Amino acid sequence: MNEKIDLKKVEKQTYRFTFTDGIYDMAYGSLIFFIAIAPILREILYPSYIIFLILPPSLIILLGTRFITVPRIGIVKFNQNRIKSRNKIGLLIAILFPITVVMVVLTYLGLYNIKVGGYIVPVGAGLFVLILLSLIAYIMDYPHFYLYAVSIGLGIPLATLLKPIFGDPLHYLISFGISGTLILLYGIITLIKFIKKYPIPHEEISSVKG
Amino acid sequence: MSKDKNNIRDEIYTPDSIDKLIHEPARLSIMTRLYVVESADFLFIMRQTGLTFGNLSAHMSKLEEAGYIYIIKEFVGKKPHTMLKLTEKGRQAFDEYRKKMKQFFNEL
Repeated sequence: MNEKIDLKKVEKQTYRFTFTDGIYDMAYGSLIFFIAIAPILREILYPSYIIFLILPPSLIILLGTRFITVPRIGIVKFNQNRIKSRNKIGLLIAILFPITVVMVVLTYLGLYNIKVGGYIVPVGAGLFVLILLSLIAYIMDYPHFYLYAVSIGLGIPLATLLKPIFGDPLHYLISFGISGTLILLYGIITLIKFIKKYPIPHEEISSVKG
Repeated sequence: MSKDKNNIRDEIYTPDSIDKLIHEPARLSIMTRLYVVESADFLFIMRQTGLTFGNLSAHMSKLEEAGYIYIIKEFVGKKPHTMLKLTEKGRQAFDEYRKKMKQFFNEL
């Protein structure tokens, strides 16, 4: 009891506790993984392969939170500052996501090189994605996401760089596949640990006397 | 004892002036968690504090009796759900508790 109560630290711990399920790591991992296999999916499922870039991360977050996280650790509503941050993230994602998908598709098709040539545009696109995703990481106050921002940001110019060496679609599998798989695995392991640590309680929580 | 020394002693907060309802470790933990958020449900506070269902339930009742927390019953889908929130009185009591504890340790 002789320690000062650092409320900012407690708030941050409480906030970060909501990320201990690995759901967001899995969502990011699946996004990068599906970017990696997009050229293969494109051959089989054109044009509906784009759905694989959008649907898995959204489903992982929505269903994972609803059926795994909330029954195990409950619900928390954060203060106004956190809610404002969340709204900013929503806006950024709404702007960034379609742009990223378009950039990834254009990089794959090699359309940048037709008009501008060289690596200027892929590097620019990579930097653009890196800055915006880092901004999301900063607002979300979750350090892991910086690493994921780097994975996607570097992946775009790297894919262009590796295309003449490894050819299609191996350049995409190397640029995004390795990091995507590692992040996805990290998310899955974190989720398994989370499920073991926080089983669904047997007590009737809802029948609390008040 | 000089007059000055008596004045100083009066200004020192003794442990008696500290809100014992909040001072109890489990309830302090509950109050701290609820202070930093808008509201949280019973399960979330249970996970954050590491208290058992029965323990948390008992402390919640004491805090509610003191007027420090609201216990809000609501339905999520068809399931009843219990949300917990600090009242204005609870926030003020916690601020006061922190102030007194800080002063108490500064004067040790």
